[in-house]
Amino acid sequence: MEFDISGARIFFRIPTGLPILGDILITETLVISWIVMAIITGLCIFLTRDLKVEKISKRQALAEMMVDAATNLVRNNTGGTQFDKLIPFVSALFATSIVSNLISLIGLRSPTADLSTEAAWAVVVFIMITSEKIKAGGILGYMKGFTEPIAVMTPFNILSELATPVSMACRHFGNILSGVVINGLIYAALAVASSALLGLIPGAVGDFLSHIPILSVGLPAITSVYFDWFSGCMQAFIFTMLTIMYIANAANG
Amino acid sequence: MGNTQELVTIIPWTFIAQILNLFIQMYLIKRFLFKPINEVLQKRRELADQEIREARDAKEEADSLKVQYEEGLANARTEAAQIVQSAQKEAQVRADETVRQAQEQAAGIRRKAEADIAQEKKKAINEVKDEIGGLAMDIAGKVVEKEINEADHRKLIDEFIKNVGEAS
Repeated sequence: MEFDISGARIFFRIPTGLPILGDILITETLVISWIVMAIITGLCIFLTRDLKVEKISKRQALAEMMVDAATNLVRNNTGGTQFDKLIPFVSALFATSIVSNLISLIGLRSPTADLSTEAAWAVVVFIMITSEKIKAGGILGYMKGFTEPIAVMTPFNILSELATPVSMACRHFGNILSGVVINGLIYAALAVASSALLGLIPGAVGDFLSHIPILSVGLPAITSVYFDWFSGCMQAFIFTMLTIMYIANAANG
Repeated sequence: MGNTQELVTIIPWTFIAQILNLFIQMYLIKRFLFKPINEVLQKRRELADQEIREARDAKEEADSLKVQYEEGLANARTEAAQIVQSAQKEAQVRADETVRQAQEQAAGIRRKAEADIAQEKKKAINEVKDEIGGLAMDIAGKVVEKEINEADHRKLIDEFIKNVGEAS
């Protein structure tokens, strides 16, 4: 029995011949990202069907609660309404992240278990942070910010600036990947264990039963509470919170 | 399993696609969740505002009506008081007038009566004087039988009468 953890499967390869970008790969990551988007959008449309002003349905109450929660999260952490334009972005980030993380529960490979996804998000957030900083202090003020408190610190400041998106991406990716790896290991180990256990039964019956990983039922459900549910929700929340905090801090100096 | 990507790698096209996906997702959430929900919330807020406004308007109207009513009541009260006062005044004036007229009338009657009395008295005195004069003349003529100057006589008699008048 060998166990192998690999990256996302590649379904198609569209050759482009471009030097750095390389071939377009239609991978599991992309396909499942589209599924995630379809789920989120479908949920939004479903929740906002026939809205009423009075005597609202439970569906509408849930939708309003979500909108309220997103609005309050952004407003409370930025102290005011100046970042209201960020609310849809933050919500999209959170929703995509959490649904991507939790989609592994139905046996699909999380798009967030691919560093390309988190890197993409982190770079977008990094660009937003930088643009807020430039908007707040001007391009010169932004440059000058690197030399503080003393000019010697400049390389370290640049390093810490670049560390922001890298750490955000790697934190999220690492957590989700660890879930994938641990769950893979548990499933493999339990399959080996049940094979060994049932292989003790002599004759054809044991031969047949040893191919059914009977021990895989039960224990993975418990470990997945932490590695999929908790970790998935936590990382989505952390990534979103960090985005809001970094952008608010950038704008406030 | 050769048809998989590396476990930890960044594939440029996937990277770009995921950035686009994020923004498409942002638009979709904005379009399908935030826009309708915020519209409904806005509508509800407007409705609540409108109800509050209407309640305030109604209260203001009621207040103004109350003020108007109270004003009217106060006006009526003062008017009534005025009417009573003026009626009293008029009655007083009229009574005074009546009393005065009565007094005047009484005084006139009295004056006239006095004047009549005085006139009657004078007339009576004159008549008496004339009669007494004549009588005295006759008596004197018969008693004295002596023709005296009538003028002297008159003088005497007048003196006499005067004395009588003064004595009466």
